[in-house]
Order: sequence, then structure tokens, then C-alpha cells
Amino acid sequence: MKVYYNIHTIWLAMMLLTLTTYAMAKLGYSGAVVMLFLLLSAATKAILIIRDYMELRGVSLLWRVIMYGWLLVVSLAIAIAYLISL
Amino acid sequence: MNAVVINETKESAPEEPRLLPGDFAIWFFIFAELLVFGIAFLSYAVVRVQNVEMFNQYQLTLNRELGAANTLLLITASYFVVRAIHAIRLEDVKSCIKWLYASLGCGAGFLLLKSLEYYDKFSEGINLSTNTFYMFYLSLTMFHFLHVILGMIILFAVAIKAQRGGYSADDHIGIETGASYWHMVDLVWIILFPLVYVIR
Repeated sequence: MKVYYNIHTIWLAMMLLTLTTYAMAKLGYSGAVVMLFLLLSAATKAILIIRDYMELRGVSLLWRVIMYGWLLVVSLAIAIAYLISL
Repeated sequence: MNAVVINETKESAPEEPRLLPGDFAIWFFIFAELLVFGIAFLSYAVVRVQNVEMFNQYQLTLNRELGAANTLLLITASYFVVRAIHAIRLEDVKSCIKWLYASLGCGAGFLLLKSLEYYDKFSEGINLSTNTFYMFYLSLTMFHFLHVILGMIILFAVAIKAQRGGYSADDHIGIETGASYWHMVDLVWIILFPLVYVIR
């Protein structure tokens, strides 16, 4: 498993997630499930950037709480706002 | 025997947290930028609740092909910067410089595609006061556009210093500092793209 988890496969995964997001936009998908999927996809990419590209894995808990906390608050608030508008 | 004891002590000692990569000061800048963008994203989502039909209607006028292509470019730019850091850690200065310029190339590609997108919109007479959706679209993406330019200036300065032999495997804090800022620019776009261009 460790062999396949590296900066190259992370790049590939993020490219595929982006293409999936674009495909869903192109196909005109909408609704709560699609919105949650798209947000989850964006959050996954963000986690990979923070953890492996910014190299925050293993740094003090405070810094990780700030970064992941920012992502969690932003994602949750967007999800709630969109669910209200459905 | 002593060596064995020392090794055992080392293994059993709790691991110290690593320090943040790069200059510590850049992280306060990064946190401040993320806070500003976070508030802007939340404002977009909240205002959209009161204007759902308008946001959904005008979102369809955005060029999602260019939006997606720009996302691919920024992710690749981040990947190239990571390659640059890995190269300098191996004392491979030449490769480090090559990856830094490759990343700058992706950044330039982003600016070009974004400029085409703006040209298209401005040609149609769209501006900040056209409606609330375009106000958010233009201000959010232009604010981010400025950050891409700043990130590129920082990366270019780092690349120049690397060319002059300013970095080594033991001393490359400047590259890590520039890379951290560059990743932040990517991170913001990763949320901005689905939020403004796709989710409806």
C-alpha cells in the first residue's frame, strides 16, 4: 500500500478527481447528493495538498487543527448553505 | 552494549512534532489569507441562498472547460514544486531549478487561460455591477488571480537564488517558504472551482 501512496500517485488522484468534477458539471448533475460528492472531492484534494504537499503531516497538532479546521468549517458551511437553498 | 542501550532509548522516546516547513512568518501570512478567502467563500454561499435562481442561471455562462483546465494546471504546478523540494534535498540543484521553472510555466498557463476568460466576459459587457453573481465571480477569481501573480513572483525569486547557488540540501528554507505559499494558492482554487463553477 505504502508503495502506491506517494507524491506522483497523489498528483494523479487529484487530476482524476478534477476531471470527475468537470464531467459532473458537463453532464448537468445537481442536487444534494451531487453537491456533497463534489464538496467531498474538493475536500479530499485539499487534505492531500495540506498533508502531503504542504508537508503538515507530523507537525504540531495546533497547526494541523488550524489548517484542517479551516477546511472543515468552510466545507460544512458551504454544504449547510446549499442544503438550505434546495 | 552501550550503543544498543542508546538505540533502544532513541526508539522508545516519543517522536517530536516536526516544524512547519519554510520560514515561520509565511505561515501567519498563509493563515491570514485562508481566513480572508474562507469568509469570502461563506459570503458567496450565504448570498446564494437568497438568489438561488440567479446564481444557477449565470453560473451556466461560465467557461467550465477553462476552469477545469486551470485546476489541472495549479495542481500540476504544486506537484512540480514538490519535485523541486525533493530534488534540492538530494543536492540536485539543476533538477530543482528545472522543476521550479516548470511550476512557473503552469502558473503562467493559469494566468493566460484566466485572462482569456476575463476577455470573453468583459467583451460581453459583464462587469462587477452586472449582477450579484458576477460580482462574486469576478471579485473572488480576480483576488485569487492576484495571489497567483504574487506566488509566481516569490517562486521566480526563489528560482533565481537557486540558479546563483543559494540553496543546498542543508539550507533550502527559502524554497520551502515559496512552496508553502504556492500550495496555499492551489488550495484556495481547489475550493473555489467547484464552489463558483460547478456546484448548483
